[in-house]
Amino acid sequence: MTTTHGAAKVTITSLAGLLLGAACPAWPAPITFNTALPVHEGGWVLREQFVLSKNADDPDPAADRNMRASGLVSVLGYGVSRDFALFGVLPYLDKRLDVNVAGERVTRSDEGVGDLTVIGRYTAYTSDAPGRTFRIAPFLGVKAPTGPDDARDDLGRLPPTVQLGAGSWDFLGGVVATHQTLDFQVDAQLAYRANREANGFRFGDVGGLDVSLQYRLWPQRLGSGIPAFLYGVLEANLVHARKNRLGGIRDPNSGGTTLFLSPGLQYVTRKWILEAGVQIPVVQDLNGTALKNDHIFNAGFRINL
Amino acid sequence: MKMTWRQTVLIVSLLLMSTAAVAAPQVYKLGVDGLACPFCAYGVEKKLKAVKGVEKVDVDIKTGNVIVTVVEGAVFDQATAKKAVTEAGFTLRGFEKIPQGTSK
Repeated sequence: MTTTHGAAKVTITSLAGLLLGAACPAWPAPITFNTALPVHEGGWVLREQFVLSKNADDPDPAADRNMRASGLVSVLGYGVSRDFALFGVLPYLDKRLDVNVAGERVTRSDEGVGDLTVIGRYTAYTSDAPGRTFRIAPFLGVKAPTGPDDARDDLGRLPPTVQLGAGSWDFLGGVVATHQTLDFQVDAQLAYRANREANGFRFGDVGGLDVSLQYRLWPQRLGSGIPAFLYGVLEANLVHARKNRLGGIRDPNSGGTTLFLSPGLQYVTRKWILEAGVQIPVVQDLNGTALKNDHIFNAGFRINL
Repeated sequence: MKMTWRQTVLIVSLLLMSTAAVAAPQVYKLGVDGLACPFCAYGVEKKLKAVKGVEKVDVDIKTGNVIVTVVEGAVFDQATAKKAVTEAGFTLRGFEKIPQGTSK
């Protein structure tokens, strides 16, 4: 069914934002992806992130799909050692798809806890100097099918894109590098998520290349002690999703490449961070009638526990 | 024999001075590499404050210097400082004991 498959692309883009983005530990870090900065040994960090993804640019006017996915993503990080940290990511999701079916406007939706992702990150290279650091950290993760993947409504089983869980054990990995100084921070990440089949459906694998610049806007001159920082943030996210498979057959109306530009702000203190940003798709080269993204809004806080 | 009020004040002052001398804290200056933001400082503070005898930690992220005040008699050496800083995820560059009254 074209409508369903097309909408699947929406969710892939959304999940790229929700899951890859939510994998950020609670350090001053990019808003939409990871960082290589450390979590101190025995330390806990918490991040709460609200994500709203709107997808209403439908190349198929007959279906006129409108997909809205919002989520409150909780990330808990723990410093196992100086170099190794574990992160648990659990989203609470609200998904809603409005679509024309047989001449009638219908809404398919579900709300609840989604899939749990656990990520281990190892800092493989560290170069520290006064007021600056450079680190490289590969990471591996697994997404467990903890969210429901067989929800139904009056029209029957919800399409995979509206389900809160994928139903499959999926794996992700990548590497992130961070260069931080007192004035600015640059992060770059290469990540890949391999999705597996569940219920006869398989989301296409997702690869991403992300870069982020965080520049200290205030205070312009550093005083003594630990002053709070206001960072201006500009990020770019290149996301490529492969086609979904239904019954082993590739869906021509799914997958593609999207480039987001993401401006934002971060207010950083020694104990907590407030942040907000919006991912704007500046290039969308999607397959067939895959539904396009309008924007993804991110806002949240991080706390040193 | 009766003590004059001057003698009483002198004795009390000497007692207070000797008590202050016994309880005089020791101050150390650590150079920490890799510190570049406010949020990073928290881990260093927490790890150093967890060291027995440490009563105060002042981080200056501009210079990367951390002033550690330790109660008299507590063991705080370079190895202890290095362990705490390393566990926080950073690198100890320097360690020196500061004579009292010149900690800034």
